Amino acid sequence: MSNNLRFRARELSKDLTVMFYLQKTVPAGERDLILDQIRRSPLVGTVHTISPEEASAKFAEDFPDLKAILLNLNANPFPASIEVSLKDPGLPTASVLQFIAEVKKNSAVEDVQFNREWADKIRSLGRLAEAVGLFLGGILVLASFFIISNVIKLNVLARKNEIEILRLVGATNTFIRIPFLFEGVLMGVAGSAISLLVVLILIKLFPLYLGSSLGALQEIVGFRYLTLAQALGLVLGGGSVGLLGGLTSLARFLRI
Amino acid sequence: MIELYHVWKQYQKPHWALSDVTLSVRKGEFCFVTGPSGSGKTTLLKTIFREVLPTEGQIIIGGKNILRIPDSKIYTVRRPMGIVFQDFRLLFHKRVFDNVSIALRVLGTPPRDMKRKTFIALRMVNLHPKIWDYPSQLSYGEQQRVAIARAIVNNPRILLADEPTGNLDPDLAHEIFSLFREINKQGTTVIICTHDKELIRRFGGRVLHLQEGKLHGKDIG
Repeated sequence: MSNNLRFRARELSKDLTVMFYLQKTVPAGERDLILDQIRRSPLVGTVHTISPEEASAKFAEDFPDLKAILLNLNANPFPASIEVSLKDPGLPTASVLQFIAEVKKNSAVEDVQFNREWADKIRSLGRLAEAVGLFLGGILVLASFFIISNVIKLNVLARKNEIEILRLVGATNTFIRIPFLFEGVLMGVAGSAISLLVVLILIKLFPLYLGSSLGALQEIVGFRYLTLAQALGLVLGGGSVGLLGGLTSLARFLRI
Repeated sequence: MIELYHVWKQYQKPHWALSDVTLSVRKGEFCFVTGPSGSGKTTLLKTIFREVLPTEGQIIIGGKNILRIPDSKIYTVRRPMGIVFQDFRLLFHKRVFDNVSIALRVLGTPPRDMKRKTFIALRMVNLHPKIWDYPSQLSYGEQQRVAIARAIVNNPRILLADEPTGNLDPDLAHEIFSLFREINKQGTTVIICTHDKELIRRFGGRVLHLQEGKLHGKDIG
């Protein structure tokens, strides 16, 4: 979930735009002044003006089901707007907000929409999900560690005779320990691989379970699969936990 | 050469399992340890392969004081030895082949050599037809022979056997002792704990007699 939210926030930040919605009746001269003010700002990349007609046409194209409502209205409800793309998506929010406030001083600007606020909100949510994930993950890592450690302890006890005979026929400590450590690593790696498989199945099943009732929100809650680096990290992490569990168990129960 | 100097071993007070045992077994010697049950025969063998540590005394094998060797290097003491345990110490969930080849596996012997040497050792104790059986499928005497095969499979420099023929019929016991003699002729030092006076008489060799942990030595033959 946190992985997905962070991805979504990154995507939104990449496409960072500020929309200035103008009053219905703005004289062309005043609109040009606003455009000039916007273009002079060092933060601004590209500026694109959208007329009420263009806005109406885009709405009809994006939401064909709602096209009829537009036709029933006698007038075009959309205002003219100016779409401003920022030069650098990494600009500090405060400087962008200051630029917006400057432009908003014009009485012709009715409303402003800045999608970074959304990106920031989603990122915060992502951080929260990450913190919860880390907490739960930590508990799971500990649980795996103790389970592996105990399984190896049981194996050591079950193979007590074999270990004793191996020692008596001249086996080195490493020779005796390696199979147990290998077992720990294998359990860790297998556990992570199974969890990756479960995540994959969940990702496939979750959208089917949700259906289309959530609309656009589905983009946010719909899981994305882990990247290759994340998946490898998980498997390596699992192996390390297994190795650690094995080493701890051997240190306690296989004193040779 | 195996040398024991003033070796004492006490498991529980006030009894001494070994009491001031001093002995020397030359390289290539064929030696019997006799004595009644509880006289310390098994303890004597166990101190030689360092399964138990003496309470006092020194044990020198091949010029090295084995009591000074750290636990992590104990394999250096045991690898040149073959040991036949009184209770066999077989792995009942593993086949005869695995039980015998375990002594080769720890040495990192290649699989092909391992198979060949294991088969030869089993043929020496006349148990090669049962190579793929489990010990639970074998008689008591056959299990004992598996233990003997495991002890001789890596051509040890020292062979220690604790009652190796205790459960064998006289003919087979004679065969096993002949085998030990053959191994001894190839230069292996052999120390056998046994009650069987008849076999001792027949095969001859040095006899070390233990009585209540004390050693009384004499040579026969």
